[in-house]
Amino acid sequence: MAISQLLAKFGRKKKPQSDESYYTAGQLSLIKDRFKRKMSGVVAAWILATMVIMSFFAPFFSPIDPTINGADIEYRRGSPQWIHFSDENGFSLRPFAYTYTKEKTGFDFKSLAAGGLDALDALTSSDALSSSSQNKYIINTEQRRYLQFFVQGWEYSLIDLSFAGFDLDWRSDRHLFGVENGEIHLMGTDEDGKDVYSRSIHAIWVTISIAVVALVVKLFFSLLVGGVSGYFGGKVDAVMMSFTEAVRVIPPIPIYLACAVALAQIDLTPIQRYFAIAVVIGALDFAALGRRLRTHILTERNQDYILAAQLCGSSTWRIIWRHLVPSFGSYIIVDTLINFPYVILAETSLSFLGLGLTEPINSLGVLLQKAQDPDIQQNMIWQFFPVVLFVFLVMAFVFVGDALRDAADPYAEKK
Amino acid sequence: MANFFANTWLLWLLITIGAFFYWRGLSSQYFSYVLHRYLLALGTLLVVSGIVFSLMEVLPGDCAEKYIAYKSTQGETITQADIDAERARMGLDKPLVVRWVKWVSNLALRGDLGFSCAKRQSVNLALGDRFWMSFWFCIAALFFSYLIALPFGILSAFSINKDWTDKNPLNSKREKIVNTIWLSFNKLLDLQLRLISYLGLALPNFLLALSIILLYVFAGESAPTGLYSDEWRNVPWFGDNGFEVDKLWDFLGHVWLPIFVIGWSATALQLQTVRALVVDENNKLYVDAARARGVTGMALWGGYPVRHSISPLFNSIGFDFQRVFNDLPIVAVVIGLTDSAALLIEALAQTNDQELAAGILFLVALVVISMNFITDAVLAAIDPRVRISVLGV
Repeated sequence: MAISQLLAKFGRKKKPQSDESYYTAGQLSLIKDRFKRKMSGVVAAWILATMVIMSFFAPFFSPIDPTINGADIEYRRGSPQWIHFSDENGFSLRPFAYTYTKEKTGFDFKSLAAGGLDALDALTSSDALSSSSQNKYIINTEQRRYLQFFVQGWEYSLIDLSFAGFDLDWRSDRHLFGVENGEIHLMGTDEDGKDVYSRSIHAIWVTISIAVVALVVKLFFSLLVGGVSGYFGGKVDAVMMSFTEAVRVIPPIPIYLACAVALAQIDLTPIQRYFAIAVVIGALDFAALGRRLRTHILTERNQDYILAAQLCGSSTWRIIWRHLVPSFGSYIIVDTLINFPYVILAETSLSFLGLGLTEPINSLGVLLQKAQDPDIQQNMIWQFFPVVLFVFLVMAFVFVGDALRDAADPYAEKK
Repeated sequence: MANFFANTWLLWLLITIGAFFYWRGLSSQYFSYVLHRYLLALGTLLVVSGIVFSLMEVLPGDCAEKYIAYKSTQGETITQADIDAERARMGLDKPLVVRWVKWVSNLALRGDLGFSCAKRQSVNLALGDRFWMSFWFCIAALFFSYLIALPFGILSAFSINKDWTDKNPLNSKREKIVNTIWLSFNKLLDLQLRLISYLGLALPNFLLALSIILLYVFAGESAPTGLYSDEWRNVPWFGDNGFEVDKLWDFLGHVWLPIFVIGWSATALQLQTVRALVVDENNKLYVDAARARGVTGMALWGGYPVRHSISPLFNSIGFDFQRVFNDLPIVAVVIGLTDSAALLIEALAQTNDQELAAGILFLVALVVISMNFITDAVLAAIDPRVRISVLGV
């Protein structure tokens, strides 16, 4: 009872609104109002917003450069370093981490180099070469490394619009947190010594931006196909819809694969490859949305306001873009958000097969692909951190999409 | 003569079916609708074949190169002229349209999907029963996902716009408490079920399959990869002592993994669809009318919105099949299946076998289109409004 009342308090904050404002409110503000009343959607939206903001400003939130430049060669395959507040040496208000040093292999490399076969025998028979023992580190609990906030570190550009022609490249070297005398690896390091936590949060933005590019491309093609065939109707409609219908029945992942294989033949830089994959994913996904747009436009185009626009002498394109498309705006936004997780999944599937983005780039698909390595599954379980982030990201998107779908339903108010 | 018919049997079959629909359609509105759908399906298939065939052009290499490459492994020296000659012999130097017409006419005349150069055998032979294997995997996964998505989607729709608490002023305090507990229970159950079903979507298929296999490995048992254990692989279904029940158990012990993995990931979208459909129906006036007449509870839900949302759901089975098949290849690679989905990945990513890939993709599209045709025909038989909306009679 108490719980449900508490939840009701969080889930339903209905402002006493006058009828006037309700009837004059625009479609989007109505959707926003209804959305706020879905508890699961609001929680998911907060999680999502946190993840997106963290990943957009990833360099600020990550203490260590995620590229090979920031790799900690002294701490390869290192386990996560926890943050403590107290230990047997006493309590501290400032959180701290310990100093980790790698166990030195006690082998006589000189005699090995001199050709001492006994030393080689000893080396191979001990488990120093096995992967699990390479993870061993000595934790020096006496030597604390206190956590510091807004520390100076590697330089990065927070917002860089120079590629778009703007003269704006905001560089900074401040980071949200770091430790004194060394580095902190919150989620451990991978086999090159790159920080898993930093890589993961950088990867989220790469993946999201791929999805954004793909969805923009998809939207463009859907509007083109749906708008043209809905507005012109007749033979144009018949030809375009039979083509759309045919695209709809072919499973997309094999087609992405074929295109990715073809792309692999062309010599592309990682950035070009990244855009090419996003465009391929987006361009082939126009069928469902395009069809629905067409149906909508077919019914709308006989409405009086279209006739009025035609009589005023508006051009065909103007009528499509200024009158027909806005009438469908909220549906397009909702559909785009609902499709986000599916686009992200397509990117990861391509990466899994080694045909999407590849290693030096930090994308969730690349990191997920790494997680299928048996070595990682057995010895470096902390490299599953990106998987956890991925699951949270997709779930947050799906729940937000669900709540939005409900909120965009104009009849939901009735009950 | 017999040879002629043996080479063109499929075309005659297609024409006979069409003629039958036309003949019945002269006197029946239903059959003229079916004929309409039938022609539309054939047209879509033609377009699909065009798309698939031209898509395969983007894969690198062609038949002649592969054939010659095979020859060069046999110790012959190869020149560019040899490759060109081979290309001319195979007709690969002709324009795309000519080759496509040849491919489609072979397909339409006798169901011949062409010749796979990488495997050096006909595609039909290379596929064999493997396509049926994938087909049944997908059907089983679909069944699994519907089994979960239907009841839970309806439940989710039921609790969608409900409050956590009962605020009806007409109810007594006691009724309010009972109703509140019931509503909260429903809401929590709905939230949990949605979490679980969306988890299937959020966990990448390959990782899920791998993790399950790994759990078996950690537990020290043999992982259920493939379709049978080694001991049962070559044992016939009907042995000396009748039907081999143990083989069936072994088979079921392996086959659940791919079905579970792809079924679970398909559940999320299915659940969303069911939920949206039921909510849509629930907002319609006839449900209000029924409510006003005093129909309540299960009788209202089962008899009105749920019943009417079944038909669009039934109509989407074809596309659901496509979606499930979409997930199958990657799972098949991880689990080590040898069905057509795994062949498809092999053909696309490893051997660049255009003919095989085109054949499999075409077959998937064929299944989807036939399912759409059948569901359309069945729905029109049940619901006359569908025919009128299409034919405009």
